[in-house]
Amino acid sequence: MTEAVIVPAAARPATERRFLGSLGRSAKGLTGLFLIAIVVLCALFAKSIAPHDHAQQVIEWRYAPVVWQEGGSTTNLLGGDNMGRDILSRTVMGAQVSIQVALIVVSIALVFGSTLGALAGYFGGIVDTIIMRIVDFQLAFPFLLLALIFMAVLGAGFATLVMALAFALWINFARIVRSETMRIRTLDYVDAAITMGVSQLRIIFTHVLPNVLPAVLVVATLDIALVIISEAALSFLGLGVQPPTASWGVMISEGRDFLYEQPWIVIAPGIAVLISSVGINLFGDFLRDYFDPRLERM
Amino acid sequence: MLRLVVSRLLYAAVILLGVILVVASLVKLVPGDPVDVIAAGNPGMSVQDMDTLREKMGLTRSVPEQFVAYLGNAVQGDLGTSIRQGVPVTSLIADRLPATGELAFWTLLLAFVIAIPLGIVTALRRDSWLDYAGTFIAVLGVSMPGFLLAVLMILWFSIELRWLPASGYRGSALASIGRAVAERDIGIFWNAFRYFILPSISLAFVLVAVNARLIHSAMLEVLQQDYITFATAKGAPRLTIILRHALRNALLPIVTLAGLQMGALLSGTVVIETVFAWPGIGRLAVDSIHVRDYPIIQAVVLVSAALFISLNLIVDILYRFIDPRVRND
Repeated sequence: MTEAVIVPAAARPATERRFLGSLGRSAKGLTGLFLIAIVVLCALFAKSIAPHDHAQQVIEWRYAPVVWQEGGSTTNLLGGDNMGRDILSRTVMGAQVSIQVALIVVSIALVFGSTLGALAGYFGGIVDTIIMRIVDFQLAFPFLLLALIFMAVLGAGFATLVMALAFALWINFARIVRSETMRIRTLDYVDAAITMGVSQLRIIFTHVLPNVLPAVLVVATLDIALVIISEAALSFLGLGVQPPTASWGVMISEGRDFLYEQPWIVIAPGIAVLISSVGINLFGDFLRDYFDPRLERM
Repeated sequence: MLRLVVSRLLYAAVILLGVILVVASLVKLVPGDPVDVIAAGNPGMSVQDMDTLREKMGLTRSVPEQFVAYLGNAVQGDLGTSIRQGVPVTSLIADRLPATGELAFWTLLLAFVIAIPLGIVTALRRDSWLDYAGTFIAVLGVSMPGFLLAVLMILWFSIELRWLPASGYRGSALASIGRAVAERDIGIFWNAFRYFILPSISLAFVLVAVNARLIHSAMLEVLQQDYITFATAKGAPRLTIILRHALRNALLPIVTLAGLQMGALLSGTVVIETVFAWPGIGRLAVDSIHVRDYPIIQAVVLVSAALFISLNLIVDILYRFIDPRVRND
């Protein structure tokens, strides 16, 4: 399922150029990519970018004002929180937590959901019925409620959070892969492969899945934003990432009680959440328009 | 048509039975013994108390037995007793449901009052600054988590400007309308209503964004139809064309997605009720998860799923009434 399968090696540069050209002309795509780059760079180099240790507590830093306000200093550019920790450093570290959770969750949901979706779409019949009934059943639960059930059963924590969100998201992949597979299944080159005696597993992995990839990529991108928001929401409720880990949701939740003393405990991670999700949504929109303008957003 | 309604009803019933199966066996899925976990937080519990609790929660029964018992009780309106408060769960939920319901009512009202004109205007003034502002709101709407908007609004409207309360609930605003009219005192209504403003906006923002975009693209499509050209040629007033011919058809996709949006709203209330200390079932769920009050968690899951299923069922049937093309399929 490498990229080489999607396009023959010789055609690749042209496709790449077409993609980059399209990206270069799209204000949406470029803005999105720029915002994503900020967050990803923060996550990758969090330790070097953060001016201080994110957990370090200095009593003089308590409620330190932001640099442009009276009494602010360059030591704490975005001020200090209620426990005397540097807000900027914690916000930068939060990027790492968010990106980590999002990538893990979406990867699990993608692999699991796409495989089941491909099986359902390719084989049809009873396999399809069973898998799609499970999907239908799961749709009876609103997204966050499903995650909450997981938290209630397994208790709050990082592993539960990842499992809960992945479990809530797999159906998105299963549905899109199933319908795309059903469409591709009827195309001539699949019939040709069957006639040539290619094994079914091989057909699924080398002929069907690579062609489903664009659609999956779009869903994956948009779902990353959904996971970042949901992780923040669950952590905000105290059911996700646990303090003292610097998660954006945890920070906003903690800062809620000190809005009067230091609003930036909330504003800084709030802006960070917005930058990530706006960036990903813009880029996801661009990807969708590029791959298939007909793909409707759910 | 009747056959369709019956088959949809049956399907919803089957799904609901599945939900009850999951809900009934929820405590069984907890790793280890949930009673041990509860006891760890309550040093006063005796071994006998723990056994009684196991019995009550259905841990001594097999999953099928538990399913039958839970279903039997649920049909009679008994959803168990709260472990922490010793009160019937049904009455706890009945107490809390009106607050959530009215919050949802104001949210939807607000969402449509803003989304419909916004969608129409951005479609009519395509590529104007209004259209771009609409796009901006749409992207912000899907990207902004409700709880973040809530906290930021509390920061601005409650702490900075001191206009609106930061949290709390002072009874139903709808119920106060009657009294306000009778006593000719708008203050009575305002005192209850002002507590609804920030939570409703927090919940409505995403709905406004999504629905305005939906109406926008549906309007653009409808306005290109021949019957619009015909109505224009006939000399019908522009406002009539927009409202009677175009909007009525452009609203169809909203109905299709209304069911899904209810799900988003239900999810949203869980978070927003926690932010605003709102006495609804969303906060009840979160509080119960924190203290591991399983009967309440089970009941909230059941009630929410049942609500969601029935709303989708209604939308599904309604849609076929509204759109004759689907009805005849």
